[in-house]
Amino acid sequence: MTIPHPGPAGRPAPSDTDLRAEPGSFRDPANRIFHAGPDVLRALDETAAAHWRALAGSAFFPPLMAAGKVCGTEELPAQAAPANWAALLRHERIPFVSHPYEWSFSMLRDAALLHLEILRAALPAGFTTKDGSAYNLQWRGTEPVFIDVGSFAPLAEGEPWAGYRQFCQTLLYPLLLGAHLGLDFQPWLRARVDGIEPDQMARLFKGARRFLPGVPTHVHLHGRAQRRNADRSTAAVREQLRDAGYSRELALASVRGMEKLVRRLEHEPPASHWVDYQRTCGYSEADRAAKERFVTAALTSAGRGRLVLDLGANDGRYSRIAARHADHVVAVEQDPAVVDRLYRTLRGEGERRVLPLVMDLADPSPGGGWRGVERASFAARAGADTVLALALVHHLAIGRNVPLPEVVGCLAELAAPGGRLVVEFVHPEDAMARRLLANKPDGIFPDYRRDAFEALLAARGTVEDRLELPSGSRTLYRVALGG
Amino acid sequence: MPGMDMARGKERSVKHLAYLDAGSGSLIVQAVVGGVAGVAVAAKLYWRRLVSRFRRQPTDQS
Repeated sequence: MTIPHPGPAGRPAPSDTDLRAEPGSFRDPANRIFHAGPDVLRALDETAAAHWRALAGSAFFPPLMAAGKVCGTEELPAQAAPANWAALLRHERIPFVSHPYEWSFSMLRDAALLHLEILRAALPAGFTTKDGSAYNLQWRGTEPVFIDVGSFAPLAEGEPWAGYRQFCQTLLYPLLLGAHLGLDFQPWLRARVDGIEPDQMARLFKGARRFLPGVPTHVHLHGRAQRRNADRSTAAVREQLRDAGYSRELALASVRGMEKLVRRLEHEPPASHWVDYQRTCGYSEADRAAKERFVTAALTSAGRGRLVLDLGANDGRYSRIAARHADHVVAVEQDPAVVDRLYRTLRGEGERRVLPLVMDLADPSPGGGWRGVERASFAARAGADTVLALALVHHLAIGRNVPLPEVVGCLAELAAPGGRLVVEFVHPEDAMARRLLANKPDGIFPDYRRDAFEALLAARGTVEDRLELPSGSRTLYRVALGG
Repeated sequence: MPGMDMARGKERSVKHLAYLDAGSGSLIVQAVVGGVAGVAVAAKLYWRRLVSRFRRQPTDQS
């Protein structure tokens, strides 16, 4: 894997004063992530540095990195290490950091399978991972990437996987909720930074459900074993397991068993009205063609961008167009079923630069974990060169009662300074707007007007281009924000 | 950090397993999910615990 920036020889190593500690990286004291300008750096203590060098020299790790399954990593010269740290690594930059509660079922499953694949490659080589969290994984478009290089450690013979509990709580259990109960796992993961506990799961899987695949062992037996061994130290249990003959082969057999289980978990969410939205939302062919031309022109007008946010992406039509004119696209959609379908379609097409995410824009991901900054909020991560908000404003302003100035403010603030907003305004007379208004008391939104919307845009920047679609009930705007 | 469940009056230490703490119970379950050989390891572990409890008792009483 080549790292998309010059190597250590090509650029001076950052000084200590440039380093900004990543607030989400503190749980493993042996290493810590820092940012310095565009660089993502990992500082290691003596032990972690020794583990890294063993890892870099192993037979299994370099091929995983070359295949892009582990994030690209290089060691900087020894003198680059910050004070009190033994070594410094530079990582490939992940285009857009996302959280597991923003992924769809198939995304979480593919992430889980990659984690297991990496562990299965590591074990025979005498390595393991210290944890098994869903937060060990990120996305490069539709490709999962294992990012926690600091998690690899030499395997002590006779020891089970230390990350199993976390794997269950943040990956397996959410998948079981989807596959066996048809529940969307996202709210569960969003509410609990450490995932779902076995005891909580056991309460959901009673009666005949306790015999569903994976449930008797990974949920019920796991919960019982935790309760019964709560007063025993892990060191004592590790020794007992070693004495009883636990081996590397057994660890491998468990990983293979888990892979088999995860692979067969399927979740077909019931089709919501959003699934067929693109087909049913009433664009004429002429409207669609004009809209595509407008969006393409908007995307090419400012040169190639790094990041485009496509809000309310639905089937990803405009995300795909954006991917031709930007390095990365994040396609945000609130319906997990739509995101799952989009993810699978994009994977099938080989489109690797669009990252689909599940999120309701009227309730976007807040900051989470310690002090609310361990998991950054969506607003803090956005900073797009271009924000696409097509056929979205009326859903927020009419459907969710968000005041129009708030809607425009939110869209503008998701762009980086000097960015662009490409936004569609659905006139109150439009069939879709009328359908939404029909469910609300008469006259409730007197300010939902085209002139009011245009005044709000003008207050946020310069309207560079506008187009009324041929049907006459929708208008598109391209706004250069700021100044 | 273990918290107290006042209703049951006993420590709920499993609720507060630390990050990088593998969890004693979670380690044992992995033997069981490792197939027949794994179940044998788990059985051996529990058998040894049982035997050691009976062996210890006389010395405890004396």
